[in-house]
Amino acid sequence: MFKLLKEVFRTGNATVRYPFAPLPTSPNFRGKPQYDPERCIACAACTIACPANALSMKTDVAAGKRTWEICFGRCVFCGRCEEVCPTHAIALSPEYELAVLDRADLYQTAEFSLAACRICDTPFAPRKEIDYVVALLINAGLPEAVAEQRRAMLEVCPACKRRDEVSRESGFSGLHHIGMTP
Amino acid sequence: MSTESTARPIVASPPPRSDSEQTLRLKKALLQDIRRSVYVFRIDSGGCNACDIEIFAAITPVFDVERFGIKVVPSPRHADVILCTGAMTRAMRMPALRAYDAAPDPKIVVAYGACGCSGGIFHDLYCVWGGIDKIIPVDVYIPGCPPTPPATIYGFALALGMLDQKLKASHHVEAQDEQVAVSHPRIPYALRTALEREARRMAGYRQGREIANNFMTLLERDEARPLTQRVDEFVARENDPRLTEIVRNLEAICIGGNGAEP
Repeated sequence: MFKLLKEVFRTGNATVRYPFAPLPTSPNFRGKPQYDPERCIACAACTIACPANALSMKTDVAAGKRTWEICFGRCVFCGRCEEVCPTHAIALSPEYELAVLDRADLYQTAEFSLAACRICDTPFAPRKEIDYVVALLINAGLPEAVAEQRRAMLEVCPACKRRDEVSRESGFSGLHHIGMTP
Repeated sequence: MSTESTARPIVASPPPRSDSEQTLRLKKALLQDIRRSVYVFRIDSGGCNACDIEIFAAITPVFDVERFGIKVVPSPRHADVILCTGAMTRAMRMPALRAYDAAPDPKIVVAYGACGCSGGIFHDLYCVWGGIDKIIPVDVYIPGCPPTPPATIYGFALALGMLDQKLKASHHVEAQDEQVAVSHPRIPYALRTALEREARRMAGYRQGREIANNFMTLLERDEARPLTQRVDEFVARENDPRLTEIVRNLEAICIGGNGAEP
């Protein structure tokens, strides 16, 4: 009996104090994906990488809006979104206390505006993404004036670019209209 | 692409269960005035067993949910709380409904894990209903794949009104002229991609990116001193042979490859 008690006191208390005291997580713990909408360029790379389709994007051409959405109830915390994000807008955090009483609280959304095509005036790509590409070109060493000139080409939708390619074959380039020499 | 899978019409399917007014009232009373242990019955409605393993981890002495009186019982007839894991598959739908019906009212239903909450990675499979709440009214959702034992404890504490909910729905609307700056702008573009590629090749996708990021921060900071000295300090501080090898490779790229030490 004494031996047993001695063993009990020597072992001490193995139970964590968790709900009453915070529990430290390991450094590589994969918890709630922390999203910073201000760093997001709405490129949709994360929604393609997400194996569980917890991340999704809806484009509303009529309203010129693109909505990014995450459902924490579907996320499997694999970290692929963090891997592909070009701007470090999403990263897994050690946060694990995600339980909710209402299903609606599992959703986080962000809305981005789309830039309209310079030729056909249809919204086609997020404005922030185009701005980011121009910033990247300038950072890569392109003179600012040239980069701004390239913007005219970036702000043309793929369908219009294709049409332009065809018309150039026949001796007419639509991009001349917007001051862009091919 | 990721629309919610709607319940498909099935021949002779039982109607989805819903709570009556009185049950809802009783449920509230149960949550507030429960002055005894909470008995939990666990239904595996087509899960992969990872959730079940985590539930058992939560009742081991390390996490010990029994200190709050939460006890796993072997029969739904004793249950106050029904803990559902799995994506609600076609095969497990009827057993799950039978267990649900066998439990006395009022009963609290907890959807456990990513599958239980919304179908998880299996949400669009042909034989999956995509979440417990498609056929049973759910009171608490515990996301995770699988939820860790502390997340389980937190979910139960939330269900029993001991702790407050942390996660809230949020919606961000892009501000006028919101711009994203290029990260590490003073490092040449070619060097930046070379560093990131090498780090990812050596350490895998997630850690590789983190290491490349840390290294580039190191490059940009404290530029007066030579890079070798800064890297030596970093390596000595971290004291990890694997990290040392990767960081030395990155350093070699900086000095040799491009000759572009900023």
